[in-house]
Amino acid sequence: MLAGPRLTGRAARGATGVNTGQIISGAGHLALIGWALIGGVFQSAPPPFEVVQATAVSEEEFAAIMDRQSAPDAVADVDTPEPPAPGEAAPSLSSEADTPPEAAQPDANEASPPDPAPDVSQITPPAPAEVEDAPPVMEVPQEDTAVMVPEVSPRPQPRPAPRVAPEAVERPEPDVRVDDVASPEVTPDEGAESVEEPSEATAPEEAATEIVTEAEEPAQAAPSASVRPRSRPARPEAVAEATPEETPQPEATPEPETPATDQGAVNDALAAALGEAQQSTEAPSGPPLTGGEKDALRVAVQRCWNVGSLSSEALRTTVVVGVQMAESGKPEIGSIRMLSASGGGDAAAKQAFEAARRAIIRCGNDGFDLPVEKYDHWRDIEMTFNPENMRIK
Amino acid sequence: MMRYMMSLLAALMIWALPAIAQDSGPLRIEITEGVIEPMPYAVPDFVGENAAATEMGRNLARVIASDLSGTGLFREIPAEAHISRITSFESPVQYADWRAVKAQALITGAVSVEGSGRLVVKFRIYDVFAGQELGNGLQFVGTQDGWRRIAHKVADQVYSRITGEGGYFDSRVVYVAESGPKDQRAKRLAIMDYDGANVQYLTDSSSLVLAPRFSPSGDRVLYTSYETGFPRIYVLDVASVGRRVLPTMDGTMSFAPRFAPDGRTVVYSLTQGGNTDLYQMDIGSGESTRLTNAPSIETAPSYSPDGRQIVFESDRSGTPQIYIMPAGGGEARRISFGQGRYGTPVWSPRGDLIAFTKQSKGRFHIGVMRTDGSEERLLTASFLDEGPTWAPNGRVIMFTRETQGAQGQARLYSVDISGRNLKQVQTSGGASDPSWGPLQN
Repeated sequence: MLAGPRLTGRAARGATGVNTGQIISGAGHLALIGWALIGGVFQSAPPPFEVVQATAVSEEEFAAIMDRQSAPDAVADVDTPEPPAPGEAAPSLSSEADTPPEAAQPDANEASPPDPAPDVSQITPPAPAEVEDAPPVMEVPQEDTAVMVPEVSPRPQPRPAPRVAPEAVERPEPDVRVDDVASPEVTPDEGAESVEEPSEATAPEEAATEIVTEAEEPAQAAPSASVRPRSRPARPEAVAEATPEETPQPEATPEPETPATDQGAVNDALAAALGEAQQSTEAPSGPPLTGGEKDALRVAVQRCWNVGSLSSEALRTTVVVGVQMAESGKPEIGSIRMLSASGGGDAAAKQAFEAARRAIIRCGNDGFDLPVEKYDHWRDIEMTFNPENMRIK
Repeated sequence: MMRYMMSLLAALMIWALPAIAQDSGPLRIEITEGVIEPMPYAVPDFVGENAAATEMGRNLARVIASDLSGTGLFREIPAEAHISRITSFESPVQYADWRAVKAQALITGAVSVEGSGRLVVKFRIYDVFAGQELGNGLQFVGTQDGWRRIAHKVADQVYSRITGEGGYFDSRVVYVAESGPKDQRAKRLAIMDYDGANVQYLTDSSSLVLAPRFSPSGDRVLYTSYETGFPRIYVLDVASVGRRVLPTMDGTMSFAPRFAPDGRTVVYSLTQGGNTDLYQMDIGSGESTRLTNAPSIETAPSYSPDGRQIVFESDRSGTPQIYIMPAGGGEARRISFGQGRYGTPVWSPRGDLIAFTKQSKGRFHIGVMRTDGSEERLLTASFLDEGPTWAPNGRVIMFTRETQGAQGQARLYSVDISGRNLKQVQTSGGASDPSWGPLQN
């Protein structure tokens, strides 16, 4: 506590003389004392015991408190309440005793109908608890053994199913009718005024995401196929100073600052541009289909694109199919045509096209879910059926 | 300034035009995922055009349905679900009725029995959802006894028009019919339709016979017999059941024969002095040529469809593996590199795959791989699967599966090359060593 002012005083003395030093020293001391008092240096620590508030009670007060616990004295002078106004109907009073609340007492004389026997067919009895009197056997700690970690983690194997689809579907209940969409069973409700048309429950057909052969056991972690070492990729050769392929330069646009620009020429260019635009853009108006709307169409078609009966050559053939759509979302069957094919011969392309056509017609039978307000954008559709992913399934 | 602005506006419009034009084209989507499931079809009873043909019409439809559904690629819509009834072959098809039962293909037909006893069967195939006929109608004429073959031919046509690849229903299989307990099993050669019907026995069971192999035209069968106490190769004429032994040197054992695609040459294994190598024989002259000369065991040879190469089994690396060499002999290259033992390789009629037997971790598998050994895929797994043979279209493999134990029996099974549709071939008793013949004429 003293060290601070002493050091401070020494420094001040050496610099400015005694008076100034004293003033500074005094001010410093005052500031330090003020900070110590106000700043909480000397705050006392909270007491280590609990404080309970107590109140002194006089003898009379104690007696009064004790009297409150006995019955109050009867008071003869009681204010009589005013009778109700004559106009008011007097509440009807009943002299009958209040009926006791109905107690749920069992009537011994009246035989209650037996409770219906619960249907226990669906309840499986709990397995009997296994109690063993034998003392627990201490597990012998395993010896430390080196374990080869498999190079590949075991992938969950899909369950074999006769149908292979992009999404796995659980096997439906045996009595459920197989349909494209799942819908619950509807039975007539006797209590309801309007009886609903009864309908069977439906569920999508069971499907796996890939073919599982007998040899592909689910627990198998190691690959069953032999993996041949890949040849080392060829070292990329140093590219000789190949001149980059000349990209076509965009057509020279008219220099905007050409002083010789003629108003007439500008008008002509504008008219030509607008004319072309009107020719080429004709109908489409409004926003184009969103990615989600396109995805929905793609999913709807691929649900019916069955490549199971195609030859292996047809499975190597990609076909582009053009189709015109009605505003109802249904494809115009006569308009379905093959625009191009690649990867296979004519016969394979024909089979691939027929499978694609069946997919469009089958799943478009009830109309694809497409926004009517964007009809101009989906009046003509080109669908590319690429079976590359289906070959390995 | 105004001029400047107008020029800029014009330039911008010209620049933006291609984008506008592109947006105005047809909507383009790409479908890359589909489903693999049997195609639903309907084949109502063929219309009997006279009283004698009514029953035949029903039988024909049943065999056609059995053929198609048996591939696993097609699923029949049962007759009870049909809305339309085909009462006349010439009546127009009510496509809506067939669409309602979700049939994608419809096969209609009519049959008549002529006074001479000839059976005339005509049929049409329809693409129900496209509302049009698939190809033109066809007509087959045959004997009443051959009605099953006519049904198979109709099914082959349907299969071919829908899948785009050849059928295999009108074909036969030669195999070893087995009877008796395992330690005293009697074996004889038998031939049957691909579906197990029309079994005929080609040999008696007095001696052990092994590994019959059809000739490319299906008129002859090569097989190995222990008739003399040593394995010798015989060639048997299917029509006359006449046979003769192929000439070999004394003191040798010859086995595992197989025809070359030309039908005139045979490749086989010959054991001499404890060493087994591959040889090639001209059937006409009986002259043999040695193809391999190694201290290891070379066996189970099979020609490529073009006859230029031979795939075979050899243990020259220490364990049985699969090798390919030129048909005239020469340097062989190994194509199997997986764990386990490989054997009985057979080249696909398409030329793209090799089927084989693999033994690994105590189990046997039938598998396929590319001719360079890549893309190996095991199709089956059991106590004992062996001896694959290809269907004429290269889409299905038949093989022997033997069950475990003293009561174990050998049966024939077939599986699609995708690994689907594994099923037993119906035979009256035990059966092994199948060889699938070509499509019949």
